[in-house]
Amino acid sequence: MRILVSIDDTDTMKMDGIEVRGTGELAGLIKKAIEEQGWGRCAPITRHQLLIHPDIPYTSHNSSMCFEADIENSFLKPLIDFASDFLTNESAPDSDPGLCVAVTDRISRPGWLISFGYMAKNYVLTKQEAYDLAEMLGVHLSEHGGTGQGVIGALAGAGLRFSGNDGRFKGKLKIKAENDIISVGDIRSLGKVDMVKCLEEGIILQDNDMIILGDHIKPVWLYGKSVLLVSAIDEEVNGRPRWQTYSKNQMKDF
Amino acid sequence: MWTISDKGEREFTGGKEDWAAAAHIAEECPGFKDDDEDEMVADEAVSCYNCRYRRWTVKSFVCCK
Repeated sequence: MRILVSIDDTDTMKMDGIEVRGTGELAGLIKKAIEEQGWGRCAPITRHQLLIHPDIPYTSHNSSMCFEADIENSFLKPLIDFASDFLTNESAPDSDPGLCVAVTDRISRPGWLISFGYMAKNYVLTKQEAYDLAEMLGVHLSEHGGTGQGVIGALAGAGLRFSGNDGRFKGKLKIKAENDIISVGDIRSLGKVDMVKCLEEGIILQDNDMIILGDHIKPVWLYGKSVLLVSAIDEEVNGRPRWQTYSKNQMKDF
Repeated sequence: MWTISDKGEREFTGGKEDWAAAAHIAEECPGFKDDDEDEMVADEAVSCYNCRYRRWTVKSFVCCK
């Protein structure tokens, strides 16, 4: 079965001399544990930006982390138990962690889950709304410390990942290429990028198109694919490629 | 470059896209510490926008250092 594992609000503001693991790192450790236990195979983690608002008690950026996994049915309960205990024990002391685990084929109204995700990017939602929807949809939602406010982001993260059209992948890709120039086909053959696209011009690049790699190579989650975004360089000079990967500035809205 | 909120927090007046000012302030700031890579948004490595002590607000960020 395919599941979505989503967590939120596991961290706290890092203060002098205290290193606190972020939500992305904890998601990575849960993912690693799933694979080490032999429970299944996991897809890369995506980060989903939620609403920044004075009424929302986020730590510093209000984002959730989610990944898909393919597991055997019998491992669902052990996985939920493990992730629950892990968040209880490993989240920062002052955090409000939440966990969502959704079996994608059992979600009774997929559109409602996706809508909740987009709502959480635009409106202040409540824990009760999250729990009510989770119960209606038949997905696991639980809190593991503090106020448990993270259940809102956890459910939203699952919805946004399920939408196929939100967020950016955790981490950045390390691709070596001579003069930082590589073909789309060679990038796709590495298995981490499904598509290379220029949104401004609405163009999907072909395998023989060449692109210039920046120092921040990070795909986004669009069309249910891992999409590497590029922008057009004004002129093709001296045979240089016409396309360049997005910079951090350009990525910030994803 | 800063305003003080009702809560006593220092909020950056440059908003979320004053890349040069955010980099300049961070270069002078002894408290700067880079955030997780996934939370960095500025191309300049040293920038308030990439600092683990910034907390985003609706219009800008507050410095929690």
